[in-house]
Amino acid sequence: MFRDVDFSDLSLPPPALALREEVRAFLRSEREAGSFTPRLGHSEFDAAFTRKVAARGWIGMTWPRRYGGQERSCLERFVVTEEMLAAAAPCAAHWVADRQTGPSLLRYGTEQQKQRFLPAIARGECYFALGMSEPDAGSDLASVRTRAERAPGGWRVTGQKVWTSWAHKAHAFFVLCRTSPDAGDRHEGLSQLIVMLDSPGVTVRPIRFMNGRHHFNEVFLDEVFVPDGMVLGEIGQGWKQVTSELALERSGPERFMTTFPLLVELIRRLGAARDARAQEMVGRLTARFWALRRMSLAIALALDPGPGGWHSAADAAVDLGTEAALVKDMGTFYEREIIDAARLVVATEPDPEAAETFERFLADTIVCAPVSTIRGGTTQVLRTLIARGLLGRM
Amino acid sequence: MNAPNDVRRMLVESAARLFADHVDAKLLDAAKREGLPTALWQALEAAELPLVGVPAQAGGASGTLSDAAAVLRLAGRFAAPAPLAETGMLAGWLLASVGLAVPRGPLAAGPQGRAESLTLARAPGGWRLSGRVRRMPWARFARRLVVIAGDGADEFVASVAPQQARITPGWNLAREPRDDVVFDAVPLAEAEVAPAAAGVSRAALRLRGALSRALMMAGALERALELAVEYARQRVQFGRKIGQFQAIQQELARFGGETAAAVAAALSAAGALERGGDATLAVASAKIRTAEAAREGALIAHQVHGAIGVTDEYALHHYTLRLWAWREEYGNESEWAIELGREIQGRGADALWPALTND
Repeated sequence: MFRDVDFSDLSLPPPALALREEVRAFLRSEREAGSFTPRLGHSEFDAAFTRKVAARGWIGMTWPRRYGGQERSCLERFVVTEEMLAAAAPCAAHWVADRQTGPSLLRYGTEQQKQRFLPAIARGECYFALGMSEPDAGSDLASVRTRAERAPGGWRVTGQKVWTSWAHKAHAFFVLCRTSPDAGDRHEGLSQLIVMLDSPGVTVRPIRFMNGRHHFNEVFLDEVFVPDGMVLGEIGQGWKQVTSELALERSGPERFMTTFPLLVELIRRLGAARDARAQEMVGRLTARFWALRRMSLAIALALDPGPGGWHSAADAAVDLGTEAALVKDMGTFYEREIIDAARLVVATEPDPEAAETFERFLADTIVCAPVSTIRGGTTQVLRTLIARGLLGRM
Repeated sequence: MNAPNDVRRMLVESAARLFADHVDAKLLDAAKREGLPTALWQALEAAELPLVGVPAQAGGASGTLSDAAAVLRLAGRFAAPAPLAETGMLAGWLLASVGLAVPRGPLAAGPQGRAESLTLARAPGGWRLSGRVRRMPWARFARRLVVIAGDGADEFVASVAPQQARITPGWNLAREPRDDVVFDAVPLAEAEVAPAAAGVSRAALRLRGALSRALMMAGALERALELAVEYARQRVQFGRKIGQFQAIQQELARFGGETAAAVAAALSAAGALERGGDATLAVASAKIRTAEAAREGALIAHQVHGAIGVTDEYALHHYTLRLWAWREEYGNESEWAIELGREIQGRGADALWPALTND
């Protein structure tokens, strides 16, 4: 039924187990030193923390050494990612680049682009945002209207991107845009351009989240000049490139672990209380987590291009679109189940300003919960995608 | 292991071929009346499938626990009406672990519930076994009944000839034999009883039983999903194939997710048990997750099929009835969740993450 991943058992290799201990020790000492305060909801943007993670070699760690990577396995990267999530560490500055931008550059980028961006990303000094959604192109990504027109030595880009998390702090983003008019097949004529966010003609305006916090932006592009050297991959291949990027966005632990620290705090709050209803909820949530993680690990392994094999990674990602969608669909619902269990078992009021971690985590997760089933593909879009994978052409 | 090795792939291919050749509508129908079809058992035994995972020196067919897991997943996928789990993963394991002979033929194991206990008492030249096992799978067809019993201080494994027990036939929802077995001071020879070895206990038997049902449910879910997908591709209503309706697609997508989670959980739990150490979290999680998937999956399978799915002429019920039966056997999802939750709570909040990542 699932041709590309058989979801068989797998065990982590010894280097991954040793790495886990290193990451835990690092996070423990950072937390004790007060370098970050665990926060749930949207991950925090903390360039200083990102540089420390980079100094350990944990950004771009699967990439070739000549681009600043460590040539470690995808399972090792998985370990680092899940440890960061379990600790609610502030990773927003590097996550997009580590997960999506880097692999896309490795697969589609020119040598010059790789040299320019990858080592800087791996050093924790260059941050990327995503440039997909537009006011009239949400779930229907192929309807983007931002367009690029030929100019001497490059392209002039005009349009508007929206929901661009951390665009006010990032250095660049991949802009999905139309480079030739829609001539029937909407997936044709789309391209990805690398746009520096400090280019003349780029305006970034904040969109406040409902709790008053600022990570979303709208980004206006007014005749922004993009030189030919900043075209990502091939002109006209933007749709295929974006699709493979989305599989990477959807299959990792980020899609089912963003409320996990609340489950830990729930257990702490329950203490020695002997309540069968609470025990059953904790047991079920543990079981569901365990199953999701095994699925996600199997996909990470299937996506692993092996040492130096990065040319096939994005191709593999295209084929695993169905499985990746499964993880995101179930993972994002699971994240909400933790919230509901926590609020129903512990009768308390969520409070973002509370001194107690439990009430603070509860408040942050409740407010941010609607986002998880929208960003990176809505539940409804994902299920349509999964169904197509199951049913084939009819 | 990170990839099924060649040996396992060959095992899976030949087992799938055997099931496909033997387990058809006629055989499944006959099994509802007869219990264990003799020809099927003979074919399984000729292929050495029942004792996969039991060491060769104990009379088994060798192979790993993950090999046995692959066979049980297939058995669930084909709804194979035979005591495969009981003979190898349960009774075969018990006998081999304590050094008792593993005979050929179907075997039964028990007790599976936590409430029942069997007692052994010393008697001249041997032992006497007393007590009752309810709903013992396949007991009336077994060559030996393999049970765990206590003498008040220690636990033992006993291998009993079924003629010595009083067996009252019973059935589960899918008409698989689940018999009531009474041991009324049954005399046993020294060679039929052995002290439980390290790692052999009623709790360990229940854990393995739960794993076997998780694996079989994963397979049955895969088949039910295939049937639902196939039906949605063909059935026409309102002038369109029903698979073209988004309402149906959304349900099938959920079903796909539940099935993938069940397969991943069941196979990973088998791997965890094979690697050693405490596999309770893994197996409990697998039984909980597959039982949850069985509930969701069976309902969606029937909803997609409409009325034809609930008839005994259409194949779906072989799988859904088994899902509804197996989710209760060796502890349902609520029992396991309370047990697991109590354990997690007892270890404390900061022990959860290390326990979950104990790969």
